[in-house]
Amino acid sequence: MGNQNPSFILESKGKVKFEDRPVPEIKDQDPHDVIVEVKFTGICGSDIHYWQEGHIGHYIVEAPMVLGHESAGVVHSVGSAVTTVKPGDEVAMEPGIPCRRCVRCKEGRYNLCPDMAFAATPPIDGTLARYYTLPEDFCYKLPSHVSLEEGALVEPASVAVHVCRQGDIKPGDSVVVFGAGPVGLLCCSVAKAWGATKVIAVDINDERLEFAKKYAATAVFRSQKESAKDSAKRLLSETNLGGGADVIIDASGAEICIQTSIHALRTGGTYVQAGMGKDEIVWPISAMGTKELNVKGSFRYSEGDYRLAVELISTGRISVKELITGKVKFEEAEQAFHDVKAAKGIKTLIMGPTA
Amino acid sequence: MAAENPAFVLRKVKDVAIEQRGVPKLRSDHDVLVHVAQTGICGSDVHYWQRGRIGDFILNSPIILGHESSGTVAEVGPAVKNLKVGDRVTIEPGVPCRRCDYCRQGAYNLCADTVFAATPPWDGTLQKFYPVASDYCYKLPDQMDFEEGAMVEPTAVAVQICKVADLRANQTVLVFGAGPIGVLCQAVAKVYGAKKVVGVDISQSRLEFAKSYGADEIFLPPRLEGDPVEASEKIAAMIKEKCGLGDGADVVLECTGAEPCIQAGVFAARKGGTYVQAGMGKENIVFPITTACIRALTIKGSIRYTTGCYPSAVDLIASGKIDVKRLITNRFRFEEAEQAFELVKASKEGVFKVMIAGVE
Repeated sequence: MGNQNPSFILESKGKVKFEDRPVPEIKDQDPHDVIVEVKFTGICGSDIHYWQEGHIGHYIVEAPMVLGHESAGVVHSVGSAVTTVKPGDEVAMEPGIPCRRCVRCKEGRYNLCPDMAFAATPPIDGTLARYYTLPEDFCYKLPSHVSLEEGALVEPASVAVHVCRQGDIKPGDSVVVFGAGPVGLLCCSVAKAWGATKVIAVDINDERLEFAKKYAATAVFRSQKESAKDSAKRLLSETNLGGGADVIIDASGAEICIQTSIHALRTGGTYVQAGMGKDEIVWPISAMGTKELNVKGSFRYSEGDYRLAVELISTGRISVKELITGKVKFEEAEQAFHDVKAAKGIKTLIMGPTA
Repeated sequence: MAAENPAFVLRKVKDVAIEQRGVPKLRSDHDVLVHVAQTGICGSDVHYWQRGRIGDFILNSPIILGHESSGTVAEVGPAVKNLKVGDRVTIEPGVPCRRCDYCRQGAYNLCADTVFAATPPWDGTLQKFYPVASDYCYKLPDQMDFEEGAMVEPTAVAVQICKVADLRANQTVLVFGAGPIGVLCQAVAKVYGAKKVVGVDISQSRLEFAKSYGADEIFLPPRLEGDPVEASEKIAAMIKEKCGLGDGADVVLECTGAEPCIQAGVFAARKGGTYVQAGMGKENIVFPITTACIRALTIKGSIRYTTGCYPSAVDLIASGKIDVKRLITNRFRFEEAEQAFELVKASKEGVFKVMIAGVE
């Protein structure tokens, strides 16, 4: 006998545990809420980081927090005002709830809401539990032919959609993506779906490049130990990018990649910072200025990204099945975290608790 | 026993009366209750009164009129952080659902579930107290009085029109209509650095006011015989010539809804220019579509306001860049509300913006 909501919790830096928490209930004052029984949760680099370092930037784990935010599940119960989903529906879950009242929210950039309550960003509990509560408009019904496992990939796919929107990728563009991890691979896939004619994946890992070539890249480029300028020159010549790429996405966070990107863009091109590494780096600002580049950040996702990601998966324009390289039982969550930290596979999913 | 809340009610078409209503309750923890101080009358209020509908919004049951208001915060919900009792505010009268795709993408003026004051079936602000979400209430700086506070709404409409037009400094801006919205657009365009603002109207007196307000040049179109579209094209040519607009205006703001003005506006825009439809008249009109195509015009609609418009409007008035007091020509006490409406309906020369004071 217990609460019956088994949860996987980060107690403090380096220490995880399982705990049975109370089952959430729809509150009267939140009639738009939905309670989802979580079925699959992907592990993200940020989860690993909180586990290992206890903080990301000024978000510090000060009290035990449920981990996980890349989830899909089955609707368990709905509030009285909910009209778009019903119990039994399979949904992808968008794990960040904005305030809806501030200037950023009302101008359509809710990902920038200063009061965002984001799953598994301290102090907000995440989705690695039996049940998770979220508002109706952050639940996206999965078409019947899309599996719940694919549903758990909608979150990183939405990140990629948002990155590509920031990059304003248009049909005919040439796009380079630094970093062939899940986000980088998904950026390649989305760019291709949006009509980019050249999609080049860059990495230091041959295995990842092999995969990228089979997955969504039209060509790959293996980074070597060389200067950023030399690397850019070699990239342009080896992949026939002429005067430079139209759009370059950094999904690595690595300083050398960020520098190389600036040199590998054509004049007037667009650069999107998606990856997170060192907080401050040495940056080729003269090249950026004289080439009149558009430089943009990209953070999570906002209106339309989740819906578009579901549609891209649903219509087969992007495929996420291949990215799932491991599926573990809820009780094996800690081992899964260790495996992801050791860079095993591409995306490991943790199943929801069964017992 | 509930305190009294006198309200100016549109019971059915052409039938208004002051009724005693209960004091409205706060609808959520984020609401405030405003003791309304001043309310301006808008063409839409008069239209619901006389015709009972605008488009799909149909008067099926009584509503309280009014939506251009200011007042004092009388009560705050427990979650309200930005306001306290006693604060002087201007009210943004349309609160959207915050959950639909339009709201989430920053176009809350397009939310189908907006609760908009005095748009059926929602009650308006011509009552002693009005409840509204706290983030749709903006504090008035000390130097702004309640009448200016009530003028923020039409000013915000003008700000939105200029936002939709993507106005930049040093453009030529042609505005059709010298009513409150038209002259406010002219004034906002001027503040935003327009090189030349031209105002067009069929009323000489309104044009003269416009010239003293935000317009650099004014134009009174002559009555021309013959084919109406050809006449509009001739008028456009006259405007361009007389007002030195060259190939055409960079931006045309159509604030009348009148068919000849819409046509002339399309003909008077320069190649590649922008045309914004703000005025509302006939629902379907004869439109010079080939001209719009060949001259690669960008044509947009503008409705109400979006994020940032209210704060911008407050700033334009508070900083003295726009003088809205000059637009107020008639003032009435709350008990005289029906008279105020009759005056607006009569459309007499010399009547511009009519204010109704709140209940003490």
